[in-house]
Amino acid sequence: MLKTFLLGLFFLSCNLNSFAQNISAGIRFQKSIGFYWENGISVEISDSSILKDRLIFGCHYVSSRLGTAINSNAIKQDQIFASFGYKWRSKRIFQPITKINIGYFLADYESEIFDVLPNSSLLISPELGIKINYPKNLLYKLSLGYNIINGNGIKNPGTLYPVFYQNTILWNF
Amino acid sequence: MEFLKKGIYLVLFCNFFLGCSDPEISDTTLDGELIFDPSIYDPGTYLVSKSKPLPKTYELDKPVFIACHGYSASTFEWNEFKDWANGDTSYFISQVLLGGHGRSYEDFKRATWKDWLIPIKTEYEGLITAGYTNINFVGSSTSCALITELISEGYFIGKLSPNNFFYIDPIVIPSNKTLSLVGVVGPMLGYAEVDNNKDEDLYWYHFRPQETLQELNKLIILVRKNLEVGIKLPKESKMKVYKSIKDGSADPVSAVLLYKGITTSGNQNIEVEMVNSELHVFTRLALRENLSNLDMANQSKCFTELISKSK
Repeated sequence: MLKTFLLGLFFLSCNLNSFAQNISAGIRFQKSIGFYWENGISVEISDSSILKDRLIFGCHYVSSRLGTAINSNAIKQDQIFASFGYKWRSKRIFQPITKINIGYFLADYESEIFDVLPNSSLLISPELGIKINYPKNLLYKLSLGYNIINGNGIKNPGTLYPVFYQNTILWNF
Repeated sequence: MEFLKKGIYLVLFCNFFLGCSDPEISDTTLDGELIFDPSIYDPGTYLVSKSKPLPKTYELDKPVFIACHGYSASTFEWNEFKDWANGDTSYFISQVLLGGHGRSYEDFKRATWKDWLIPIKTEYEGLITAGYTNINFVGSSTSCALITELISEGYFIGKLSPNNFFYIDPIVIPSNKTLSLVGVVGPMLGYAEVDNNKDEDLYWYHFRPQETLQELNKLIILVRKNLEVGIKLPKESKMKVYKSIKDGSADPVSAVLLYKGITTSGNQNIEVEMVNSELHVFTRLALRENLSNLDMANQSKCFTELISKSK
């Protein structure tokens, strides 16, 4: 399922890329409240012909392998997701943003003892935050998000926490 | 009039952000001022260090279990293990009452997780002083986190190494992830109410002050971070974790964190068994409804194994 999802995201990104005027790429730092840092990369695309440059499409990958699990016994878990965001006040330096993320979560428990536990899940999370455009090509985003599907260890992975915040630093190409 | 408006806004603000007042406590529950854990009146029945402070020479190497209960519970949680012995004197069981527990809502509210820990240390040190040489810890739920913290902080260094650490449904990650937000939500709510039946209200607190939930959250975050760094058991000590695969209180993934985070002094993995159970603390069956044959078999198998592994 993960491979299919990744391929889908890749082709979608390629198709949008041929029309996009604004491409930004950078680093995303994400923290679940009360739990892990899961960091990674973000690519975002927008086009002035689509909703007057207010719509942002993004692809993101974050992982505890690049966060809390570096040189530690923390569980290695990965998240890959697409985001659809809307910029408010698009000409201003401080822009409120609302986003919806859809993706996939996978945890690696590293032992067959735990094969009985759920370790993957669909990811759906709204985010609310701000985008700061300063200096000209540098973008900074800060937002609070909520994983609608979160884990109780019975039906969903126990390490998928509900509330997270993230900050992303992007370079606009 | 202006002053009155400001006053009303202040009251609303305080109620919203600083929490409601404490709940109405009934004296027919453990939360009240009339019902207490019986180990408070009669420690000799519950603690081996009190009932047998001068063991005979042939008793010194008999297994002694220090049985520790979970958050908001009492010594009742381990009564069935004691009853299961059924007169067998080849081992002894101490039932420890955690600090701040088994008394009243106010006592529970005031206690920190470090207070919860004190009676565990006191009993262990009492048994060592008495000369016992085969000491085994068996903890349920939050007690497992407390014992893990003891190991992590080096408490057992320079002391007699326990023979075994047995964890029943340990909590490192809660099943209900709202606990992670207790720092914000807790003061607004003041307390959480639990859906106990009337009998359970005699042995578990009915109300959980938000202060105690904050303490629980602090403890399990600390334990999780120590597990990420890595924890070594005392020399020659062994550990086995028994974890229900469906647990509404202690997330089953807690077992993964313990397995990854703790090694024996010889750098071996600890033992973990994922138990086919939907109960939190599957070894306690009393006062539960709709028990299955599997539930009873799980309890029996676990108790049998605790005894055999300790000898």
